[in-house]
Amino acid sequence: MSQWAWVAFAYTIAYGSLVVFAVSIAVRIRTTRRSIGDTE
Amino acid sequence: MQSQTRIRRWPWIAIGLSLAVAFTLSMVSPADSVQGDLVRIMYVHVPSAWLAYLAFFVTFIGSVAYLITRSLRWDRIAAASAEIGVYFTGLAIALGMTWAKPTWGVWWTWDARLTLTAIMFFVYLGYLALRRTTDDQVLRAGRASVLGVLGAIQIPLVHFSVIWWRTLHQPPSLVRPDGPAIQDPMMLAALIGGVVAFTIVYVSLMVKRIELIHLEDRKVDMESAVERPVAGEAVTAPELGASS
Repeated sequence: MSQWAWVAFAYTIAYGSLVVFAVSIAVRIRTTRRSIGDTE
Repeated sequence: MQSQTRIRRWPWIAIGLSLAVAFTLSMVSPADSVQGDLVRIMYVHVPSAWLAYLAFFVTFIGSVAYLITRSLRWDRIAAASAEIGVYFTGLAIALGMTWAKPTWGVWWTWDARLTLTAIMFFVYLGYLALRRTTDDQVLRAGRASVLGVLGAIQIPLVHFSVIWWRTLHQPPSLVRPDGPAIQDPMMLAALIGGVVAFTIVYVSLMVKRIELIHLEDRKVDMESAVERPVAGEAVTAPELGASS
């Protein structure tokens, strides 16, 4: 693999997992709010 | 209502903006004379490792504060920070492996820094598992706080492992007695920019994660209130239609 391919792989892991982690928190907040009837 | 929505959304906007700035800085910085473009992996690896330290230190502070004050607010801060810390430790390990393969020739080696980081990762995974052993918020907070305090011993061990032991891992890049190891201003800007951006991401995630823990605790309270008998065993249902 070229150096840029390694860099692209690392940045996909870093930024991709950050987005997934943030979205998972957002979804959990929304579902928990709904389950307790909090429409705030 | 509109301002409330704006307040609830600011962490997501802060995450997006700070990551965009960090990405731009890391891409426009020059290649290293020895490592070439592979040095760009440092701009995400070092901030991830820094965030792991910061997050577990906040868990330590929250745990100590809980043991002193017995306020669940501190326990929520400790728990939120531990979860984010586990994520960033895992990310630092994954990015370190991705950097190690093309530079050292191996994905993993039983080096002091790598081994201690892996141990720290599993200890805090244990912290999260311990929190799931009970729904009793006070019992959970007490148990977790003890581990949150003891686990923090690993933070200086991991950081200074590259100085105390002869290791393959390079010494610290930024926090060192003789100043940062990087001299090029653009490379230094990319590294410091990455650290600042990831710290903003951490603060934003903390705000949302604490909000989630608060909601989850409310849900558990509501569920246990529904299951609880209204007046205990003294009250029994009348037998309708029973003859005397």
